[in-house]
Amino acid sequence: MAGVLFVAALLMVMLLKSNLSATAETGQTGLPGLLQLEVENEQLAKDNERLWQELTQLQNNQNGSELAAEQMDAARLNAGQAEMTGPGIRIILDDAAERENTGYGNYVIHEEYLRQLVNVLWSGGAEAIAINDQRVTGQTEIFCSGAFIQINGVRQSPPYRIVALGNQSDLRAALQFYFWDQLGYYQQQYGITRELEIPTQPLTVPAAKSRAIRFAAPVRETAS
Amino acid sequence: MNRRLVGAATIAALILGFLLSLQVQTQKSVDLAEQIQAERLDQIAGVLRSLQDENARLSEENHYVASELERLRGAGGMNPLLAAQLEQLKIQDGTIPVQGLGVKLVITDSGPDVTVLYPVNTDDLCSIINTLRFAGAEAISINGQRVVGSSSVVMSGNATILINSVPIGRVGATTYEILAIGDPDTMHDYLSRLEVFTLKQAGMRVDLTKEEVTLPSYKGSYYFDYASRTST
Repeated sequence: MAGVLFVAALLMVMLLKSNLSATAETGQTGLPGLLQLEVENEQLAKDNERLWQELTQLQNNQNGSELAAEQMDAARLNAGQAEMTGPGIRIILDDAAERENTGYGNYVIHEEYLRQLVNVLWSGGAEAIAINDQRVTGQTEIFCSGAFIQINGVRQSPPYRIVALGNQSDLRAALQFYFWDQLGYYQQQYGITRELEIPTQPLTVPAAKSRAIRFAAPVRETAS
Repeated sequence: MNRRLVGAATIAALILGFLLSLQVQTQKSVDLAEQIQAERLDQIAGVLRSLQDENARLSEENHYVASELERLRGAGGMNPLLAAQLEQLKIQDGTIPVQGLGVKLVITDSGPDVTVLYPVNTDDLCSIINTLRFAGAEAISINGQRVVGSSSVVMSGNATILINSVPIGRVGATTYEILAIGDPDTMHDYLSRLEVFTLKQAGMRVDLTKEEVTLPSYKGSYYFDYASRTST
C-alpha cells in the first residue's frame, strides 16, 4: 500500500517537472513568432504609408510623368545605379607578403572575408558600398574561383579596397563588433594585412550598371 | 507482542500519512503549475490574436492601396515607356512584389528524422544568397523577407537570425524557404553543385525544385542621410 502510494507520488513529481519544462518550451518558441509578427506589422504599416503618399500624389498631380521621373530618380538611387558621394570609411585588405608552404589558405584574403565585411557594413547602416570600384548591389556576387575573386562578373585581385558610405562612427562600431578583431588575429598569425581609413574628405562609389530583367515580372494587383 | 504490533502499526500509519500528504501536496503543485501555464498560454494567445488581426487588416489595406495605385497609373496618362522603365528599376530595388520562373530551396535542420551537428547559420544563408546572385538571380527572398542589396543577415543574441532586421527564425528550430527568380536551370545547377551537397552532408533535409514563384516586396526603407548623388 505504502509502496503504491510512494510510486504514485514519485510519478506526480516527474509529471510536474515535465509539465514545467513544457511550459518553458512553449514560452520560448512562441516569443520569436510574436516578435516576427510585430516587426512585420511595423513594416507593413510603413509600406502602407508610403503607398498612400504615392496615391495622394498621383491623385493631386495630374502630370503622371513628372511623378514618374521623381520615382525613377529614387529607384535609381535604391538600385545603386547612380554614383554617390559622402562621408565613409575605406578598408584595405591584402594577402600576406610571405607564405609558408603549409596552410596556404591562411595567407590569402578569401571571398568569405569580403562577404562578411560587406554584410557587417550593411548591418551598420552603410548607404552605398563598392569593392575595387565595383558597386555592391542586390545582384552582386563575390565569388572565388581559384586564383581570383569575381565581383559583378569582373575578376579582382588583391589588394581589395572596400569603400562604404554612411555614418563613420556607426560603420566603425559595427566592424569592431563583428569581424574586425578576427581579421586582426589573422594579421598577427599569418601576416595578411587589414587597414581601416576614416578620411575627413568625402568618398565616392561608382554607379552599378543597369541590368536587363528577363524572368521577374511585377505581381499584378487585382482589385477584389 | 501486542505492543510491538501496535508500534509497527503506528509507524506504518505515520508513513502512510506522510506519503498521502506528500501526494496531496504534489497534486496541488501540479494544479498550480497547470493553472499558471494555462494563464500564460492564454496571454500569449491573446497577444498573438491581436497581432494577427492587425496583420490581416494591414495586408488588406496594402492590397487595396496597391491596386488603386495601379488603376490610377493605368488611367492617369503616365508615359507607358517610363512606367515600364520604372517597373524594371523597382524589380531591382525590390520595392514591388514579383513573380516568375525560378527555384524553391527548402532546408530543414531539425525534426524527428533529421539529426545535424550544426544547424543552418548566417554564413550558410549568406553563401546561398551569393551563389544565387552568381547564378544570375533577379530577385531572392528568405522566409518572407526580400533580400536586396543592402540586406544584412546577422544574429541577434545567439539564437535568432535577422534579415532586414526582422527575425526570420530560431537557430535549429526553423525551416528555411528560399525563393529566387531567374534562369531556373542555371540556379538549380549552381545550387546543387555548390550548396545542396554541403548541406546534405551536414545531415539536413534539402528540397530544391524549379518552379514559378512569387516573392514579397522589400518592406524596409532605403535611406540616404549621408551619401548623395555625386553632383556633376
